[in-house]
Amino acid sequence: MKELIKHARELLENGEVAAVIGYRQVSAKRTKPVIITDPEETSALVFNEYCLNNLAVYLTKARIKLLCKKNDKVLKLAITAKPCDVHSIVALIQENQIDRDTIHIISFNCHGVAKDFGFDFNGDNLASKCITCETHKPLYYDALFGEVKETPQASDTALARIKEIESMPHNERFEFFKSEFDKCIKCYACRAVCPLCYCQRCITDKTIPCWIETSSHQRGNFAWNVIRAFHLSGRCTGCGECDRACPADIPLSLINRKMSMEAKNLFSFVSGRSLETPTLVGSYNEKDNNELFM
Amino acid sequence: MTQRSIQMDEKIISRVDLLNICQDVIEKGNTLLTPGVADYSVVKDVSNLNLDASALPSKISYKSYVFPRTEPVLYYKRSKNDVQLIDVNIDSKKIVILGAKPCDANSLNIMKHLFNWDYSDEFFNMRAKNFIVIGLMCSHFDEYCFCTSVGSSPVSEKGSDIFLIPLDENNYAMKIITDKGKEFITPYSGYLKSGDENRSKRITENVKQPDVAFDSSEVYKWLGENFESPKWEGVGNLCLSCAQCAFVCPVCHCFDITDEDYSYTEGRRMKNWDGCQFGNFTLHASGHNPRDIQSKRYRQRVNHKFRYYVNKFGEILCTGCGRCSRGCPVSVDIKEIVSNCKNDQKELR
Amino acid sequence: MPHTAEIKEIIDESPDTRTFRLRFRDADTADRFEFKAGQFAEYSAFGDGESTFCIASSPTQKDYIECSFKVYGKVTQSLRRLNKGDTIGIRGPYGNWFPLEEFKGKNLLFIAGGIGIAPVRCVINNVLDLRDEFKDITIIYGARSVSDLIYKQEIKEWKARRDIKTVITVDPGGETASWDGEVGFVPAVLEKNAPESENTVVILCGPPVMIKFTMPVLTGLGFKDEFVYTTLENRMKCGLGKCGRCNIGNVYVCKDGPVFTYAEIKKLPQEFNNFKFQIANYKLQIAFLKG
Repeated sequence: MKELIKHARELLENGEVAAVIGYRQVSAKRTKPVIITDPEETSALVFNEYCLNNLAVYLTKARIKLLCKKNDKVLKLAITAKPCDVHSIVALIQENQIDRDTIHIISFNCHGVAKDFGFDFNGDNLASKCITCETHKPLYYDALFGEVKETPQASDTALARIKEIESMPHNERFEFFKSEFDKCIKCYACRAVCPLCYCQRCITDKTIPCWIETSSHQRGNFAWNVIRAFHLSGRCTGCGECDRACPADIPLSLINRKMSMEAKNLFSFVSGRSLETPTLVGSYNEKDNNELFM
Repeated sequence: MTQRSIQMDEKIISRVDLLNICQDVIEKGNTLLTPGVADYSVVKDVSNLNLDASALPSKISYKSYVFPRTEPVLYYKRSKNDVQLIDVNIDSKKIVILGAKPCDANSLNIMKHLFNWDYSDEFFNMRAKNFIVIGLMCSHFDEYCFCTSVGSSPVSEKGSDIFLIPLDENNYAMKIITDKGKEFITPYSGYLKSGDENRSKRITENVKQPDVAFDSSEVYKWLGENFESPKWEGVGNLCLSCAQCAFVCPVCHCFDITDEDYSYTEGRRMKNWDGCQFGNFTLHASGHNPRDIQSKRYRQRVNHKFRYYVNKFGEILCTGCGRCSRGCPVSVDIKEIVSNCKNDQKELR
Repeated sequence: MPHTAEIKEIIDESPDTRTFRLRFRDADTADRFEFKAGQFAEYSAFGDGESTFCIASSPTQKDYIECSFKVYGKVTQSLRRLNKGDTIGIRGPYGNWFPLEEFKGKNLLFIAGGIGIAPVRCVINNVLDLRDEFKDITIIYGARSVSDLIYKQEIKEWKARRDIKTVITVDPGGETASWDGEVGFVPAVLEKNAPESENTVVILCGPPVMIKFTMPVLTGLGFKDEFVYTTLENRMKCGLGKCGRCNIGNVYVCKDGPVFTYAEIKKLPQEFNNFKFQIANYKLQIAFLKG
């Protein structure tokens, strides 16, 4: 922790970065995002198993970009990111939303996080994404802290659930999604926390024509959740933030994970893993699976 | 809408008998709601009903049963030149809420001011009239609860028609608060035994309560003087502009009106929940937006709750349930923000 | 529940602004519908929703009501597609009004910009029908260009009258070869004409940026804030003080407004004072004109 604070402090004091986006502890098992511009405040920075937020969501916000403009100069922005959050940053760079040169990534050797605030950190309460995680060391970083520790063992219940849903007859599967989407209250928290939902104007905000009904009845809820799933196919990096944010407990990450599995099976593509590979929807390869063409 | 308080002796009811009443409510075709983890849900089978005074408030309040997240307000049929308008029948089934948290129980009382000033909202009133709230003392709180800071408490009977206090594992003390509650319970008076007020009083007096986090009158004053405070920027930077806070809130009441066609000639006009944190909430068609940045929108939220509503209707538009903060994806904590507003912190966040 | 009304007449005021002359389908409603100058209504294009405009015709006009709208969003586009004889919905009248009784015996100065002429026109026509009860009347109206001026026919009639002074202006670059009115932004034209401020009530409507620059001129000419009346046009949905959209401070604009004096507005949280967008637009326009 001391190293992290020292590093962040130096960055700010030397004027290398305009702000550090990080976590601060609010209670024993809860942290919250903090945007620090004053070197004195860096002492609040922490990194532990309760750093759940994916801070990459702030990188595309206009008001955060504005922080970086100082006296006609554009300074870098430092962000503390778990290895999985780095995937989101990579995806954003790949989609030309941010520039690698403007971001200073402070990352950590990570052994998983809790599934939500307030839970003890152990195998039973491990976040679903951490169970199958293969990147305990970040793929890209400018500074790396933390020691390598063992990740608690847990069984991949989410995968079992996906298999179960896959094996349902289609009417049963429809009923399943109907009952899940029925709970949606259209607060759009899933959209707000998603680092890849960066559109200046979301399709649900469009009124002419109105593609997605704003009412949270069955038709409107289906339209929203299905369209969101499609818009994130091959782009979602699986951070699971939408799942955590949903006040109605809709298992959004199951849907997103299923779509990522499809992208991997069909195109051997996993989003946010490499700065060299072009994005899935942004590239075409003759060897791509052509069965999907009408 | 007036709910005159009546004096009535305290009663005792056993758990089994309470469930019998619930069974009867369901059998008569009424809706019975109890709090769960995520939502207040409709009970079909009373046998596994669990009344837990120590549970945290559900993630979503029950306001959707009075003020639905979406509802038609009129139907229309278009013909060549003409339009025919058809009224909506309001579904007015009786709804009994068993085990409402004290912080939820008062929500309708707070909202009714808004829905009845100047123009009365029939949709709201009709449903509120058919609502029976059976409150249950609350014996657990977490770091987000602050009912005691907004004039309520875990043993507050405000808003409940009938209030329950768990005496032991199998018995509840029952207080009948309103005429509506009396009317509801009279057919079941055979189940009630006379109680001892001192016994329930000992329990309510010893309930652990969250500390008072802020003085709402000081917050009121600070808000009046610090509209332009740069402190709002901190929270404006953090908040991600979803409406989770507004939609889980038991008293947030803003809505949108929109038309939906379901065929070429027919459609309906819908009243949908809306949230003041959305960027397009106040966006004019011309592109002008009075609350164009997030800090202004968050300022509106806090001001509306702790100042404007107080000015207009004399009550704080907040029950202290802490749902908005507990569920906030970036942990923006309204309690922390209003408690810190007077401190010399550079930013609220 | 809205009332249905038939579109009796469509008047194309400018390329993007249209006026509907409406008559309620139900004769009873038509007889009972009464409003005062400055009030607004919710107009429905069924299938696309409701939109808020002021009632642009005078309350003294009993046969029909008129509304004028500029095509901007979903509802106004939908309204534009309607033809003569079609049906729209009207709810209202809502909000407060200009206290004409208090204006009696005083000079009146009307200042309007763009579509802001619509509520002002309602008051003007109302006042002209009771001409004797008011003293001097001055109208200053500005639009972006000659073709953007609306109520062209009525402007001609106003100009022809000797008992009122009418000044019409267009933004620099918006004039045509045959234009005989003023050229310049409203605040500048106001300053040039310098109307008498003693015993005068101002009715000021227009885009926020116009109001921002007009107010200092008015103050400079000696007008008092409590005699400057304007309308706040926030986004509204319900018109009933419920939906929360138009809320500024303790005020629901749809109930406690839309008519406020500038003195009242100054007491509100300064939230509508967000001129960034308009100023940028204004500057762009000027920069564009300068070439």
